[in-house]
Amino acid sequence: MITIDHVSKTKSRTRILYDVTFEARPGRVTGFLGPNGAGKTSTLRILLGLDSPQSGTALICGRPYRKLDRPLTTVGALLDGSGAHRARTARAHLRWVAASNGLPDSRADEVLETVGLTGDARKRAGRFSLGMSRRLGLATALLGDPEVLVLDEPVNGLDPAGIRWMRGFLRDSAAQGRTVLLSSHLMGELAEIADDVVVIDKGRVVTHGSLADVTGGHRTLEDAFFALTATEAGGPW
Amino acid sequence: MNTVRAELRKLLTLPSLRRTALLTWAATALLTYAYASAEAHGEPLGDDTALAPLGYTQAGFLVLGVLAATSEYQDGDQIRATLLAMPRRLPLQAAKALALAALTLPVAAATAATSTLPAGGVAWTPVATAYLTLTALLAAAVASAVRRALPAAIALLGLYFVAGPLLRAGSSASAAYLPDTAALDPSHGAAATIAWTLSALTLAALIFRRRDA
Amino acid sequence: MVNLVRAELRKLLGLPTAWVGLVLGTLVAPVVVLLNAPYTRRAIAAGTLTDTSDLGLRDLGIGLIGPMVLGVIVVSSEYTSTGRDAPGARQLTTTLAAVPHRLRLLAAKTTALVLVVAAQATVTTAATLTLTQVLHGEHAPVPAPTRVAAAILYWTLTALLAYAITLITRNGIVPLTLLIINSSVVSVSYLLTKVTDLASYLPDIVGAQMFIRDTDFPVQVPPVTAGLVMTAWIVALLAVGAVLFQRRDA
Repeated sequence: MITIDHVSKTKSRTRILYDVTFEARPGRVTGFLGPNGAGKTSTLRILLGLDSPQSGTALICGRPYRKLDRPLTTVGALLDGSGAHRARTARAHLRWVAASNGLPDSRADEVLETVGLTGDARKRAGRFSLGMSRRLGLATALLGDPEVLVLDEPVNGLDPAGIRWMRGFLRDSAAQGRTVLLSSHLMGELAEIADDVVVIDKGRVVTHGSLADVTGGHRTLEDAFFALTATEAGGPW
Repeated sequence: MNTVRAELRKLLTLPSLRRTALLTWAATALLTYAYASAEAHGEPLGDDTALAPLGYTQAGFLVLGVLAATSEYQDGDQIRATLLAMPRRLPLQAAKALALAALTLPVAAATAATSTLPAGGVAWTPVATAYLTLTALLAAAVASAVRRALPAAIALLGLYFVAGPLLRAGSSASAAYLPDTAALDPSHGAAATIAWTLSALTLAALIFRRRDA
Repeated sequence: MVNLVRAELRKLLGLPTAWVGLVLGTLVAPVVVLLNAPYTRRAIAAGTLTDTSDLGLRDLGIGLIGPMVLGVIVVSSEYTSTGRDAPGARQLTTTLAAVPHRLRLLAAKTTALVLVVAAQATVTTAATLTLTQVLHGEHAPVPAPTRVAAAILYWTLTALLAYAITLITRNGIVPLTLLIINSSVVSVSYLLTKVTDLASYLPDIVGAQMFIRDTDFPVQVPPVTAGLVMTAWIVALLAVGAVLFQRRDA
């Protein structure tokens, strides 16, 4: 269960989040939708304890991330990149992360197998392609077999097989009772996976509810999205 | 503690640290030979040849600290993975310092011994070892605030090898306050080195705690 | 080619660390002359300074950290990884996409570096020598123009030395550490001259004899020869660096 409550954030004197409030419930995939620069990543970074909000709270299972003991057993996060140092091998990276949360070393090999990187375990992270880096990042998120998954643009960089795999994986995770929160701006993808949707634009939550509610009378989620986040005169940016 | 184990693993699997340690030791061996050879030729290079080589190769320990700390921020966004796995920042900083100290100690001991033993200065070895280890910790603290290797290296090397000697030449009183005095005058510099290192570690920890990742 | 040089100049002057090297290298020597003035006066009066024509020129040494930083950063900035999504990627990829002919790229980089460093050398030498004249004019003769030119050449060659080593190592920390340690009060090269006479031909030692008169190196080399030897060192290292750059994967 993820609870974001009236979170506001200012960065370099610019307000980037205004009173962001929403929930992500267990057993459901919650899609976090918004244009570039809307505040998706900023919100997720606050949720994960990387940045601090000026006001408001972001709780996972009722506690802030920094107060979680052995956080990787509760939350698995996939942000951009793999988080691995380029000179380190994939296996060495996973092994230090495993050690940090008291997880057995065997988990490293297990998650490598889950994401299909067993053959590349001894390759240095700097030699990974974009898709491989994302998979290493996902492997890291899965080390602790967490009940909550937070993913920022998870299919970015994956090939069609990878995208399909990810879709199935996320749906299965939710079916097993996990809480899944993912941010994306691929409408088609999100419409396939999400149960609930939160739409954010310019730092404010525009709407949230089930996929059906948010799509409303529009033909597709994409139409609904553009209607809700209509930009002022000018180009698509 | 899990955090210390993880940090130790990180340091042990970073190839650049091994290379730096090796190069530093090799350079010390070379300089020790140079000093001994000069003595043998009847042209001693100055007093205190037991510690003189370390005055130069302490740079290797500065670099060690810089590389260890900046590996979180360069060549990949590892600091994020670190903070996600170990979100409590002050314990994390403490664990990092402990892990670095633990791994630097044997390297420092080997390097110090290489310099002191041939010149008959065995008694100085423990002090030299402690000094070199503290130097690495100091460098790591500074580098974790600066977050990029080259600027951190420029600042530290500039302080130790350019500004330091200048200040010393200008005012002998300042010698007691500079961090690297212990390298030149072991009986007096200890307090300064310890004070500098502890302050740097504390300051770095506080900055790290409040900063966005 | 002019466009390439202009692009490289823009790149260099857009790096904050480059400005650190630029400002520091320019200001340090004159400031030291100023701060040391009382001691210098005492030394002159006591007769401990044997060759006062070296005054001012000697003080330039302290500013060498500037050209070292500049020489290193011109190359090392190409090799720092560009970001989190692809930590294996570097600015070099973009650079080579824009300028695939590697030797031309190197020529442009070298030219840009030389322009910046020579300009810096001229400014700091002028400032240092002028200050020396103002403060100690009665005792220190104005150095001959050829000696001043030699000092500027030494400064530039030092930057190129740092540059060449960084080309070979692809990493800025190694050359920077080696060169800064070597520029400390008692340099490693100087130590080595006590061990073997051959060390007198090391680039920084032999180069100093271009414009410093009072040296106690075991082998005394006339200024012109000194300049040629130092230049030969740099050319050799640059050649090695260029070959490696040409042949390696980006």
